[in-house]
Order: sequence, then C-alpha cells, then structure tokens
Amino acid sequence: MARVYNWQLGREMSYWYPESRPKKQFAAVFDTNKCIACQTCTLACKTTWTSGKGQEYMLFNNVETKPYGSYPLAYDVKLLNMIEAGKWSGKTYEGQTIFESAPAGERVMGWRPEQVDYSYPNTGEDDCSGQVDHGALMQLPHMNWFFYLARICNHCTYPACLASCPRGSIYKRPEDGIVLVDQGRCRGYQECVRGCPYKKVFFNPMTGTSEKCIACFPKIEQGLQPQCFVNCIGKIRMAGFLNTPDKARADNPLDYLVHIKKVALPLFPQYGLEPNVYYIPPVHVPASFNRQLFGPGADAAVETYKSARKDMDLAGLLCLFGCSESLMTRWKRTGDIVVGMDDSGTQLVRVPISEPVHVRTSFDPVQKLVRINCP
Amino acid sequence: MRRRKLIVLPALVVLLFVAGCKKAPVQTTEVIAVAAAQLPSSPTDAAWDNVPEYLAKLIPQDLVEPRLAQASTPEVRVQAITNGTDVAFRLRWLDSEQNDTAKPGSFVDACAVQVPTKLMPNPPAPQMGEAGGGVQIVYWRADWQAWVNGREDNIKSIYPNAEVTHYPFQAQSLEKGSPEQKEMAKRYAPADAVGNRRQSPRQSPVESLLAEGPGTLASNPAVAVKGSGVRTQDGWAVMMVRPLPEGLAPKKRTSVAFAVWQGSNKEGGARKMRSGWAPLAVEEKKP
Repeated sequence: MARVYNWQLGREMSYWYPESRPKKQFAAVFDTNKCIACQTCTLACKTTWTSGKGQEYMLFNNVETKPYGSYPLAYDVKLLNMIEAGKWSGKTYEGQTIFESAPAGERVMGWRPEQVDYSYPNTGEDDCSGQVDHGALMQLPHMNWFFYLARICNHCTYPACLASCPRGSIYKRPEDGIVLVDQGRCRGYQECVRGCPYKKVFFNPMTGTSEKCIACFPKIEQGLQPQCFVNCIGKIRMAGFLNTPDKARADNPLDYLVHIKKVALPLFPQYGLEPNVYYIPPVHVPASFNRQLFGPGADAAVETYKSARKDMDLAGLLCLFGCSESLMTRWKRTGDIVVGMDDSGTQLVRVPISEPVHVRTSFDPVQKLVRINCP
Repeated sequence: MRRRKLIVLPALVVLLFVAGCKKAPVQTTEVIAVAAAQLPSSPTDAAWDNVPEYLAKLIPQDLVEPRLAQASTPEVRVQAITNGTDVAFRLRWLDSEQNDTAKPGSFVDACAVQVPTKLMPNPPAPQMGEAGGGVQIVYWRADWQAWVNGREDNIKSIYPNAEVTHYPFQAQSLEKGSPEQKEMAKRYAPADAVGNRRQSPRQSPVESLLAEGPGTLASNPAVAVKGSGVRTQDGWAVMMVRPLPEGLAPKKRTSVAFAVWQGSNKEGGARKMRSGWAPLAVEEKKP
C-alpha cells in the first residue's frame, strides 16, 4: 500500500495506489435541512440511467430517513461496527480507515449485501413515534427526530471500489475526478460492491457487470449539473468542483462552503475515502449523531448554518442552490444580489437574497372589507 | 460346513460390490490426452469411461488480494481426449449445491483449464501466468450453461416473483425487434452497448481467455473453444474443448492447471481454488 494524504482526516493514511489527484474534482454540497424526501431526485436518476433489465433495484440516488433508514439495509452501522467507530483527536482521525483495517488477504475492510438487504428501500423509515396503533411496521424505540439524507456516489478521492477491483476495471477520470466502472472491462466479481462503504455500486444480474452513478458526466462535460441536482424540488444541491484546502478560492462556491465557512462536511470521513459529496448537517438532531456521520466539524457547521441569516455571503450563496441548470463555478455577492458565474466570469444567474415582503392588513380600506389571511 | 459358509458369504458380498460398481478410471501422475478418432460429444459420453484420470489437488488462490480465506473444493478429477487437432478436457468435482444464478450477493459454480501460451521448459507462474509468460484459459460457468440450456431472457428467470410494469424499450412507439427498440434497450445496458455481455442469452457456456498475470485477463478470440457442463448426482461434470496447445505432440510435454469456483462459498474472480501445474502429454495415435 502507498502513503497518501487525506485532508479530511488531517493525516496521511494507507491506500492501495499512490496519491494522484485529478486536474479538477467533481464535488457537491447537499443541504440536509432543506430536503423533504420527495424522491424526485431518485426518480430523475432512475428514469435517466437505471430503467433497464437488471437495474430494477438499483438506486444510484436514494434518499433515506436517518437514523433508521438505509439502502441497502444497515449499510452504515454494519461497517461502523466493523471498524469499531474510531476516535478523533481534534480534527485528526486516530482510528483506522477501511484500508488500514483490511484483514489479511483483503484489499479493504468491507462486506457484501445480500439480496434481502436491497428488498425494502424506505420501508418503515418514517414511523418516528409510538403513536402507530395498528399495523406498526417497526418495534424499534424510534426517537422523536429524524432527517432525510440524500445520497449519490461520492466520487471519492480514494475510492474503495477502485481499490477493491482486482483487474483495474474502475477508474477515476483525471479531468474531473468522476469515478466510473469500465463496462467493457468489468467481469462482475462484485468486489467493488463489497468494498464501497456507501454501497453505491450495484451488480446487474442481466448484464453481469457492476454499475454505478456516473455523476451524469455527459452533462458535466457540457457545463451542466446532473439530473438529480436540477430536478431537486427543495433546491438542496449544488454541484461544482472542489480544490484541496490549501488551494481554496473564496469565489468558488464549493470551496467557500467546504473550506472557508466549513459548513458542509463529508459523509463518514472516518472510512478514509475522502468523499466529495458534502453535507450541511441537520440542525435539529443530537450533536453526537451528527459527529458520527459528518466528523468532528459537525457542531461548528450547525452553528455556522444557524447564523447564516446574519452572514450575507453565506446566506447569499445558499440562495444560489437550485437556481440554474448550469454549473456555477464562480460566484459573487453585491449588496442583496448574488450572482452565479461560469469559469470565465460570465453571469449564469442573478438571485435576490431577500424577496420583497408585502404585509396586507386585515381590513381593506379601498374595498371596505375584512380579509382573512390564510397562513 | 459352517466354516465354508463363513468364507463364501464375504466373497459373495465382495463380488456383488465389484459387479455393482463401474470400473474406476486408472489414476495417472500426469494428464494424458488419449488419442481417439473423434472427440466426445458431451461430458457424459461413454468415451470418457476408459480414459485415465488425473487427480488435481486444489489450494486457495493465495498470490494476490483478494484471496480465498478458506479452502473449499479440495480436488478436481481431470481426463483428456485428443483427436490430433483438438483436445477435450473433462473436469469433475464434488459440489453439493448447484449455484447457477449470478445476482447481487450470489455467485456461480465455474471451472477453468489453463495452459502456457507456448511450450517452454519452465512454465510461467501457475497463478494466471506472468509478464512475458502468457497463459491461455478456457472458462466455463454454470449460469452460462443455464442460459445455453434455455433460461429465459427476463428478470423473472432470476427473480420469479418480480413484477416490472414498464421498461423504456417496451414503449408502444417502438416496434418490437426494430433497430430503434434494440438501441433503446442498449441505453440501459451499458455492458451490452460496449459488447461485454456477461449474462443473458449466450451461444456458448465457455469463454476463451488469455492472461499475463493476475488482473490481466482478456478475451482471446484467436483460440476457438467450446464446451458443456452437466449437473451430476454430487457435483459437476464439465467438458471443455480447445485446440491442442501449439507444438504439443507425442513424446513432448507442456503444462496444464485447473481452477474451480464454488458459488455457495461466494467464490468469484480471484477468490477461487486453483491447482499447480501438471504435465500434459499426448498419447501416440493407435495404428
């Protein structure tokens, strides 16, 4: 194994291949606080990419209700148990990653879901209280909080799927860091399915190869955001390219959110993959749960997000989410207006941070009548 | 009188036992391709009955990660027949469970025969060869055999209770069997679109491959192969036919190695049981 630097862990770690960062890294920020689990993203992806024979069960994009939801079943807690949920010392991870804890004879610490683990997406996830008298689906002591976690492939800097494949059928594009399965080379060993901790590679029983989210790369190549981003009803997502912390640019929307404001965090950074989908953590769940999912920066991220109303730049940038199909790789705020731009600085979209508010009195003196304002 | 009875009875039991058993093939210390006018038609062809048998001991793949953690199939019984042009191998091994469906988390029974690309005094590494020392492989899979035997090309053949309301290629606007319809189906079958269909209807249950070390396996259209496999009472019997290795003739030797994958043990790819090299000889043609 080679030694590579993982900035999310604040240290070097072991990886199957030497460090080789792409020219640009596809990345995204998801605001969990805005997701309503309408599953429009799931369907946008499903109809675009996985409507064929053998793809029936595949969800390159899924939305699960945390803490109990997961697809495939228990993908998260199973692996957390296996790596014994390592500890952090400040911003440095002191536990072992899935590469460092790989047993003898294995490339990564992993597990392979069984057919039944894919059989019940979203079943029973939203039963959050004990008030379901008849037909209760779960007997677990559900807590009175939950949130929705939308997931796609993280197009990791150190992908476990890529490390797991014994014949090098998975590659990371040097031009944008998107991780793909070479469909001409894959022989369906399912090692990538076993290795990916996020379980975002799926075996197709009709073609006999494994398939995964491709970040809609034909759209990325045209400067457009992927399907699950542009179809998002809640406007929770923004796609773009992320630099390493030492090269962070304040005018790059993702750099600003991830590196400068540190309001968006990776999912299960302790696995060691340096995943590139970043989440603004939910503000209303126990801090310990947020820390387990998003690492030691979770508490500060929640506080930063809560105070966004006082931070015009952060509030402005959050307003750009979902406002254009184009990739906004630059941004700026002027007064109450925030502008999304492409690499050349050309304006793509212009959004007011605060909408004009009109307060209507209950009595209309012109019509001389009383109106009932519906909430 | 009583003493005579005591001697005759065990003798009768032994005689009956011997008569009830098929004659076991002669065991050899190398794989000998027996000369015959024609090759057997199947792994159950009577032509195999008198062919000497080589017992190939198997060990877990132990060279590269991922390795096979626990040994499974301990040995494979090998026979070979040649017609002077081609050589047919029959592999038989014990496997109590038939696994012929590859699906998420499920693996299939399979086997392979490997020979060095050319005759050489020191064969390359038996673990799929090495750089500059290539190997040719014939690979058989139980699910491919099931497709060849007529498994239907739909998801119900894998998940009998599956219900699918609509696939885009079934849209009414697309004429069944038309190029447009096929094109639409390919859009949602990326492996198909690049000619790497590893499942679904096939003409053959075997594949011709070459390799120069682990992870280098590639298709080998230059070597034509065929074969078939049947489920036996306690395992599999598989016949694989390929051209005689180049340069192999009576009084010459090359090497041959074998691998078996047990689906029930979740074996696939590098997780397999494999043998070391065994000598492969060709019997001189009978006058």
